[in-house]
Amino acid sequence: MSLLKYESQLREPLINGDKNYHQVTEDIIGPVETKPTRLWWIGFSIALMLLAFGVYSVYREVAYGITEWNITRTVGWGWDITNFVWWIGIGHAGTLISAILLLFGQKWRTGVNRAAEAMTIFAVMCAGMFPIFHMGRVWDGFFILPYPNSRGPVWPNFNSALLWDVFAVSTYFTISLLFWYTGLLPDLASIRDRAKTKFRKMFYGLTAFGWTGSTKHWQRQESLALVLAGLATPLVLSVHTIVSFDFATSVIPGWHTTIFPPYFVAGAIFSGFAMVQSLLIITRKVLHLEDYITIGHIEAMNKVIVLTGSIVGCAYLSELFIAWYSQNTYEWWAFRENRANIFSPYGWAYYGMIFCNVVSPQLFWSRKLRRNATFTFFMAVLVNVGMWFERFVIFVTSTYRDFLPSSWTTYYSPSIWEIGFYLGTFGLFFTCYFLFAKFFPVIAAAEIKAILKTSGENYKEKMSTIESMDSDKFYEEEMVHAH
Amino acid sequence: MQWLSKMKQLNNMKVYKYRKLVISLVLLLGISINTIQAQDSVVSKTQISISYFLPVTRVPYLEVNTRKKVGRKFEPVKNIPVDIYFNEAEPSNLLGKLITDSIGKGRIGLPPSFKNSWDSLNKFKFLAQTESSPGQEAISADITIKKAILTVDTASEDGARMVTAILKEKNGNDWVPVKDIDMRLAVKRMDGNLSVGDKDFYTSDTTGISSAEFKRDSIPGDQKVIVTLVAEVEDNDTYGNLVTEKTVDWGKAITTQKNFFTQRTLWAIRSGAPIWLLSAVWAIVIGIWGTIIYLVFQILKIRKLGV
Repeated sequence: MSLLKYESQLREPLINGDKNYHQVTEDIIGPVETKPTRLWWIGFSIALMLLAFGVYSVYREVAYGITEWNITRTVGWGWDITNFVWWIGIGHAGTLISAILLLFGQKWRTGVNRAAEAMTIFAVMCAGMFPIFHMGRVWDGFFILPYPNSRGPVWPNFNSALLWDVFAVSTYFTISLLFWYTGLLPDLASIRDRAKTKFRKMFYGLTAFGWTGSTKHWQRQESLALVLAGLATPLVLSVHTIVSFDFATSVIPGWHTTIFPPYFVAGAIFSGFAMVQSLLIITRKVLHLEDYITIGHIEAMNKVIVLTGSIVGCAYLSELFIAWYSQNTYEWWAFRENRANIFSPYGWAYYGMIFCNVVSPQLFWSRKLRRNATFTFFMAVLVNVGMWFERFVIFVTSTYRDFLPSSWTTYYSPSIWEIGFYLGTFGLFFTCYFLFAKFFPVIAAAEIKAILKTSGENYKEKMSTIESMDSDKFYEEEMVHAH
Repeated sequence: MQWLSKMKQLNNMKVYKYRKLVISLVLLLGISINTIQAQDSVVSKTQISISYFLPVTRVPYLEVNTRKKVGRKFEPVKNIPVDIYFNEAEPSNLLGKLITDSIGKGRIGLPPSFKNSWDSLNKFKFLAQTESSPGQEAISADITIKKAILTVDTASEDGARMVTAILKEKNGNDWVPVKDIDMRLAVKRMDGNLSVGDKDFYTSDTTGISSAEFKRDSIPGDQKVIVTLVAEVEDNDTYGNLVTEKTVDWGKAITTQKNFFTQRTLWAIRSGAPIWLLSAVWAIVIGIWGTIIYLVFQILKIRKLGV
């Protein structure tokens, strides 16, 4: 065993059980090669039904116009923008895990990165639906692209943060897709090489892109991953920063605050990790991957959740304090009367948000709770509900009472088609995720193999034997082994 | 008695030597806070005052102010009905009635019926009086004013533009200059009056004239470069408040930008984004998407290597 692969015994193993390379392949690639289970079919059917409902809801909006939604003159974005920002936030964890944790050399990312990256792609797809269909005339959606045209005044406004969003989100999606696909290549080749049917050979042969596992291939793939990580790292920060600009650059009380960019980024990572937890806790159970997505992985992600949740909590307090301290009548009104006042029409949403996002994650300071998968699952769901409330509170409570009290009469609540659209994106997300879990390995088998001999339980046990050896004897043995 | 020796040890420590001083300071602080709180909770009776105004462009008017002291500051008292009399509180001398507004103020212009008194007298006494009501005692205030007139003019002195104001009072049938009265010489702006020179107030000499050099050469005027000069005697015990104005073409011409809304700014519409912003955006877009295209080619090379 080479000394270079030494890892501290204090670190708990990232792969449990007596695993070798073949066993890793069997465990991870195996589910792709078997027929879908009954549970998979049930989940997939529900996802398809939700998707169908979403498609019909969108059809209503496109066919009959935006009045199918309950948005008003002041609450012009309503559920639409709430859901857009929520889904974009969900997507943040994938990029963070695949890019930032890669650059920081965090080995625990290997157990969760594949599913998180897939989740990012599906979440961004869902997010993109909302602004596209809010256009009303979706067939004119290409008007937002800046190319020479004869439409005269209909030209994208580069001063607008909304246009920057188009660039940011589309770039984010493309890079996430490339990252995901690049990482998949070695595993696709493994499936291709093990394929027994003609169709599987052809499909995985095409998608594996001629991967042979040669040194040249690995060298190219690793350099690709590094460049992508370099591109994706600023994107993690910039995408949600730009999303926050959609609001912060306006003059709406409750929106025009400079704290928005860091507040949105922290909130996005917070909700993204919560969604990764929800998905992976189910995935590891259903596909029997507990040895690869360990309690250690869950605990590491819970640490990120408690950190980002606390940042979000500080942001809530800061904006409340600054609203008061600024002595800006309108700003303070928006916070005091439209949010912090529990008896105001949306006071329940504000306190729901505080409970879910600030109070509940503090339970993760307890190591015992951090390492409890069932508790983590419920907490993750709670955080995602809370983060949805956060966006709802920001967008709706700032707009439903505007500067004119004469327009305060409306209490905004979504129509069935707005709800349907949101449920439809859940359908789209889970349909994609079910297909992904069926046809692609949910864990990066090649990357697991790369850390197996340093972080695998059985190898760490061997290392502890070596650690107990006399150092002179060990040196002699190593020298003999080396020559 | 181990604890007793410990206490003695503590008492000998340096910090305990100052305990008397510390206790005195704490007591003093407590008493001060109590006193301040007691002062803050005291509410005085409603007070009333009356002021006289003679603006050059309007009829003279009287302004009443009702307020009361709450703690250490004055707060306005609104909705107080006030009767205004000339000389004495007789029904025949009633000039009018008013009710103070949300900032505790009320105004009343001198009525046309007062013209004869205005023309014949040189000194006036005005009286503001409220009637008693439940929780509110009757209060009154009066002011005695000498009839005076303030005029403003301009002059040129060694090439410098001067603003002069003359204050005269009615004495018998003559208007005589008044000396040693502080007045403002200013130019009218949107949110207040800006002094024409370096000082806030200018004092009248024996001829009743106060003058100042106009130093606001770069001040913008209207489209015809007109600015308004203002001479003002403020809250004088003898003459009240006198204001007079004169327009002059001493302002600086404003060159309006005809293409203001079509220039490239961050707040411009559609194709009006600043060049620097467009450059930055396109540099980022081309840079990132160029890299993405390069990466796609790298992936394609993987395929090439494998075939």
